[in-house]
This record gives sequence, structure tokens and C-alpha cells, in this order.
Amino acid sequence: MTTTKLKDAYKQNKVGPIFNGGDVAQAAIEAAEWDNPDKDISVDDKGAYVRISAEQELVITRESMEEALGRDFQMNEIEIHLGSMAGQIEVTSEKIRFYFEKTL
Amino acid sequence: MYQIPREEWYDLTRSTNWTYSYVSEEEMFPEEMSGSRGIPIEAWETYDEPYKVTYPEYVSIQREKDSGAYSVKAALERDAYVDRADPGWISTMIAHYGAIAVNEYAASLAEARMARFSKAPGNRNMATFGTLDENRHGQIQLFFPHANIKRSRQWDWAHKAMHTNDWAAIAARSFFDDIMLSRDAIAVSIMLTFGFETGFTNMQFLGLAADASEAGDHTFASLISSVQTDEARHAQQGGPSLKILIENGQKEEAQKLVDVSIWRAWKLFSVLTGPIMDYYTPLEHRSQSFKEFMVEWIIVQFERQLADLGLDAPWFWEDLTKDLDVTHHGMHLGVWYWRPTVWWNPAAGASPEDREWLEEKYPGWNKTWGKCWDVITENLNNGREDLTLPETLPYVCNMCQLPIVGTPGEGWNVRDYPLEHEGRLYHFGSEADRWCFEQDPERYKEHQNLIDRFLSGQVQPADLPGTLAYMNLGPGEMGKDAHDYAWAAAFKKQVSAA
Repeated sequence: MTTTKLKDAYKQNKVGPIFNGGDVAQAAIEAAEWDNPDKDISVDDKGAYVRISAEQELVITRESMEEALGRDFQMNEIEIHLGSMAGQIEVTSEKIRFYFEKTL
Repeated sequence: MYQIPREEWYDLTRSTNWTYSYVSEEEMFPEEMSGSRGIPIEAWETYDEPYKVTYPEYVSIQREKDSGAYSVKAALERDAYVDRADPGWISTMIAHYGAIAVNEYAASLAEARMARFSKAPGNRNMATFGTLDENRHGQIQLFFPHANIKRSRQWDWAHKAMHTNDWAAIAARSFFDDIMLSRDAIAVSIMLTFGFETGFTNMQFLGLAADASEAGDHTFASLISSVQTDEARHAQQGGPSLKILIENGQKEEAQKLVDVSIWRAWKLFSVLTGPIMDYYTPLEHRSQSFKEFMVEWIIVQFERQLADLGLDAPWFWEDLTKDLDVTHHGMHLGVWYWRPTVWWNPAAGASPEDREWLEEKYPGWNKTWGKCWDVITENLNNGREDLTLPETLPYVCNMCQLPIVGTPGEGWNVRDYPLEHEGRLYHFGSEADRWCFEQDPERYKEHQNLIDRFLSGQVQPADLPGTLAYMNLGPGEMGKDAHDYAWAAAFKKQVSAA
């Protein structure tokens, strides 16, 4: 990658959570597929952390997390393993949303 | 039992800007602490924190995080990983704890300033949790290394480093004091939580966790990645502040605060995280190069976030992308050469296999940095360790407090960026370091870097042993080569085999 390209490398629109592991990370991958049916969900596993991303917006609902985990789940439990995120975030009791306002 | 969803009552209960009758607004929120910058309090009340948490939620989540990290430590204690870990990895941990642990308490004070003085109720609420977060980070990162003090006095520097005049401690304090301890609430929300925690802490707490996990150090990996889950939440305080500044015509001010924070963080990481990732971490456990981590977390992820919030790339952005190939190699060479002046044992990371990897990740490394390591290697193999040890001090920058470095070899380009201000001559390691100073000379002008102190007679006797004493480095604490020069001897074997 040349330096000129590096300077502009941020001009992309991938958003999503980065988990430091746990069953929540695996469940979130499944939930992301269900909750964003029109999107390609990419998963980059770095061992100590897993990056889950989609273009522009990615939503994960509590309902899908419960389905994937097979147990009750409060949306805020996601924080236990949420190490970082790409994009802005919005958290409610029923869903967590990662998004960019602008498209670059 | 039915619970009313948080979003139906949270906004109302956290809006606590009631009307004061005994004091004025200026007395309640002094400008030097609040930093409202002339923007009316009604505008600050529109601050909408994107990551909302209530106290009961906070407590139960934090309990889970702590029990996770502490139980990994307890489960692996008998395994005595530290006793069989590579010495380069041990140095990584010792350098990390000394530079970071006590500064977490400084971060706690910074959060407390927002919790009390921010005019935005949402900021105050989130910062209350942030204060507790950072207190947790201080405690846990002092507790874990404490178990290893029986192994070496260097582990004690987790607590000691920031209370000394060691040059690395001066550099770390200079940056953290600037963004955490001596700024108003709004500047803290932007420089610390946005500039530093949305960006750079990811490098040290997730990037490094990837290496830790590769190295089999699951205790350290779970500890630091657990710390970062708090950061991910409370780092969200800066975004709304930026939006309010921009909406009220203060984009330039917002941009300046972000730019200063990014540049200063970058310089500190170039001396701390760069050498750790590219030289100390054993070759087979390096999950990515420092540059690759920087590209992933800062050049792509962080800069994209900055753009989304309506800010421009910092004016030095192109310089920064170029420096990813340069600065930390120079810092590493300096730290290794001046190894008696640090509290950890720098790993040279310059064995034949290491150098192959460096050349692959940083094409041209052998023609530049490699030439310096050739000389060092030859001296060591000829029994002249004395030629690889320092007798003087390097010149250090009046902003980042780190050596002024450049690229060695044929393209030798070390350059000083001087500035005369009120009759005093300052020296900087880059255009951006000098620019940071020029943004606020009052803030920085009295500070004396290590060399200023040396030249003004504060370090006595004025020689290397006197300097080591000034840095509070005792026997058993001063750094030495982590692998006792085994990497250099590997070249001797290569020659005799050929």
C-alpha cells in the first residue's frame, strides 16, 4: 500500500462491533446475519478480538441475540465483551445500532 | 416484574440542570473548569450521549467484567506463565504497566472534572461512570503486576514509574497531564475520550491483546481487553461535545483540540507501543506489525469516525502516514541503546529472522535502521559491549519529551525544528510538535525537558550515573538487553556456518 493510498484509506463505510471474545461474539455474528438480511456481514477474527462489519449500518436486536444464545439477554450485556466499534453507536433496550451519518 | 424501558425515563431523570438561587452560573460552572466557550447552557443541554447506561446496569455489568478478568488470573496463577514467558514479552508487560497503570488515576480525575463541571447533564452522568471505570483500571493494573514483584524489582515500576523523573515517565506525564489534568471539562471530553480513547487506546488494549493471546498470555489479554470495554463506552462522550461545538460555529477550536491530542498520542505510542509490537513481542507471536495495527485502528477506523462527526483530517495527516514507517524504529533504537535509562529490559528484536520480518513489513529497513544494528551487532560479537552503551544523553523534543529521530543510512535526515519564544530557544522533533507548542505557548513555555534540566545543573553529578540517579533507577531496575545478546550471537553462528 503506497503512502498516497494510506492517506485516503479511511474513505470507506464499514461499521460494526469489535468483541473481545465470549459466546456473545459468536451469537452477535449470527444475530447480525438475521437482523441485516440485505447486507454482507464480514467477520475478521484476530484471536483476541473479532471485528464484525457491514456497509454503512449494522443493527443487532435483543430478540436475535436471545435466539442465538438460547437464553435471556439484556441488550446492555453486550458491553461486557464490546471492546471497540467502527462507526457511531446508538443503544436502546431492544437493539444496538452502528452507523455512519455520511457516505464516503 | 415489568420494568419501564430505560429510554422512557432516562432523559428526564438525567436532566439535572436546575435553577440555582444562591450562586450564579459562573460560580457554579467556572469557565476554566467547564470550558463552555461562550456557548449557552441551553445548547449544552442538547448533548445527547449515544451510549446510555443507568447505575444499576453499570454495577451489574462491571461486576461481570471484573469477575471475568480476575477469574482468568486466578485460574492461571499456578501455571506460572511469567516464569516461562519470553523475556521480550515480560518487558512488554513491565513497560506497559509502568507507563499506563498510575495514569489511569489521572484519567479518573479527568472524568471527575467532567462529572462535576460539564454543563451538559448527559456528559456529567456518563463521566460519573467514567470516573469509576478509570479507578478500576488503576486498581486492576496495579494488582496484577504486584504478584510479580518477587520476580524482579522492575515489576514494582508499575506503581513507581510515574513518581520518578525517568525520561519515559516525563514523556508520558507530559502528554497525560496535558489532556487529562490541565484541561476544562469539554476539552477533556474531546482530547481524552474522543482523541485518545476512541483512537489510540484500541492499539494498546486490543491490538496488544491480540499479541498477548498469540503469546499464550491469556491473563494479560483478558485484563487489557476488559479495560477496553469500559473505554468503548465512556469514549463516546467526546462525539456529542464535538457536534455542539461545530453547530455553534466552533469547528476550528474542535479541530485544534483533536489534532493536538492525536499528534501527542501518536508520539507517545511511537516510543511505547511501536517497539513492543515490532521488536519485544517474540517474532512467532506478532499477529500484525505496529504499522498494520496503526492502519487498522487509527488511519482507517478512527479517521473515518472523525470525518463522520464533521471534522477534517488533521493537517499533518500525510506526515503521520509517512511516519508510520519511520518514527518508532528510531525510538526503538534509542530506547535499546539507552537501555540503562528505562525500567524494563528492551529486546533488540534484531536477530536474522527478526530482520527478515522487519524488511518484509518495512521495505528498506535493512538499508537504513539495519545499518545501525549491523554496527551494534559487530561490536557485541567482538566483545565490545562498551561501544553499545551510552555515555551522553540524546537531544529531546520540547513537546513530546522524546529523542529527536529521523532515518539513518544514506538518506540521513534528522532535523531539528527550532522556535524562539520570549527569548528562550525551544527544539522540536517535527513540524507538528512545534505546531502544538504554538497553539498555546502559555501552557507549555515553562516546562523543562530532561536536557534543559541537565544543562541548568539540576542533574548532579552531571554525568550518566548522576542522570540515572536523577531518574530514580537503582540496581536491579535499570534495563539491560532482554536476551543477553543471544540475537547478536546468532549472526556469529551464521558467519561460521558459511
